[in-house]
Amino acid sequence: MTNKFDIAALVDDLEPVTALNPRRPLMIAAAILAAMIALIVGIQGIRADVMAGHPDEMFLIRAGILLVLGGATAHAVTSMASPSVGKNNNGWQIALAAAVVFPLSALIVATTGDFGPAMSAMQSGMRCMMYSAIGGLATAVPMVLALRRGAPTSPARAGWLTGIAAGGLGAFAYNLHCPFNNVVYIGLWYTLAVGGCAVIGRLVVPRLIRW
Amino acid sequence: MIAREETLRDLMTRAQGGDKQAYAVLLEQTGRWLTRFFAQKISPDAVDDLVQDTLISLHRKRASYDPSRPFLPWLAAIARYRWVDRLRQTYRHAADELQDQHKEGSHEDVVGAKISIDRLLHQLPDGQALAIRLVKIDGLSIAEACAKCGQSEPLVKVNIHRGLKRLAALIESE
Repeated sequence: MTNKFDIAALVDDLEPVTALNPRRPLMIAAAILAAMIALIVGIQGIRADVMAGHPDEMFLIRAGILLVLGGATAHAVTSMASPSVGKNNNGWQIALAAAVVFPLSALIVATTGDFGPAMSAMQSGMRCMMYSAIGGLATAVPMVLALRRGAPTSPARAGWLTGIAAGGLGAFAYNLHCPFNNVVYIGLWYTLAVGGCAVIGRLVVPRLIRW
Repeated sequence: MIAREETLRDLMTRAQGGDKQAYAVLLEQTGRWLTRFFAQKISPDAVDDLVQDTLISLHRKRASYDPSRPFLPWLAAIARYRWVDRLRQTYRHAADELQDQHKEGSHEDVVGAKISIDRLLHQLPDGQALAIRLVKIDGLSIAEACAKCGQSEPLVKVNIHRGLKRLAALIESE
C-alpha cells in the first residue's frame, strides 16, 4: 500500500478516547429541559388545571405528543453521532407523523371558519414561539456537541432533526404554562414554533458538524 | 488475507484504549479492506487517496465507534461518506477507463454485500446511477456521457445532482 507513512503518523498520534455514549447528551438535554420548565413556570406560571390536578384532555395529548416528538428525535440525533450501515432509527418518523395530526386538524377546523383564539391571542402565540426557541436552543447544545464529536453521515438530516427535537422539547416546556386548548391555536402556533426551530436547525447545524 | 469482523472489532476497541500496536494492525487491515471496498467505484488512481482520507476520518472520529456494535458497518458508513464526498468534488480523470482487473478475494460475504457501495448505487433510479457511474466514476465528460447513455446534457447534470444528493441521504441504509 502507498499509505504506509500516513499509517505510521496516525499510530504515533494515537491517544486513548472514550467511546461516545449516546445517553449522556440525552440526559444533559433532559436536565436542561427540567431547568427550562422551572424557569418558564417561575416566570409565567403553570396552567391552572395542571395546578389543580385536573389537566384538560387536550393539554395531555399536546404534552404527550411534544414530549414523544422531542424525545424520539433527540434520540435519533444522538444516535446519528455513531454511524453504522443498516442501523434502523426511525422512531422519530412515527412521532413526527403523530405530531402532524395537530396542524392537519387545525386546517380542517379552520376551514369551517372557527379559528378560536388562534388569531386574537397572537401575543401569546409569539410568546410560545419565543420560549420554544429559547428552550430549544438550550436543549440543542448537548445534541450539537455530540454530533460534533461524532461522525454524522447526513449533516442536513441531522440539522432538521436537531431543530425538531429542540423545538419539540422547548415547546413542551412552554406548554406547561400555555392556557389554550383550542386545536387551531395549537396547530398554528406550536407548528410554527417547532417548524421554525427545524428550519433554524437545518440552516445552522450542518455548518457546525461537517467533518 | 483480511482480518474478520470479530478481530477488527477487538483491535478497534483496543485502539480506543490507546493500544498503538493494535491500532497499527487495525489500520493496515482496514486499509486493505477499504482498497477492496472502493475498487471499481472510483477511478483507480483515486483509490489510494480515498483510502487515506477514510483512514484519517477513522482516526479523527474513532470515539464515534460504539464497541458494543459491529465494526465493519461503522467503517462502511464512514467510507461511504468519504466516497460520496469525493464524488461531489469535480474532477476529470485523465485515464478514463477503469481497469477490468480481478481483485484478490473479490467475493463478498453477506455482511460485505449489505454494506457495499454497489448496494448503495442500486438504490438510485437507473438514470441517476448511470449518470454518476459514467461521469463521476468512469471519468467521462458530460458530452461523452450523453453520447453513451442517450440522455440529454441537462438531464445528465440533473441526474448527477439528484443522485449525489440521494446517495448522501442513503449512506447508512442497507
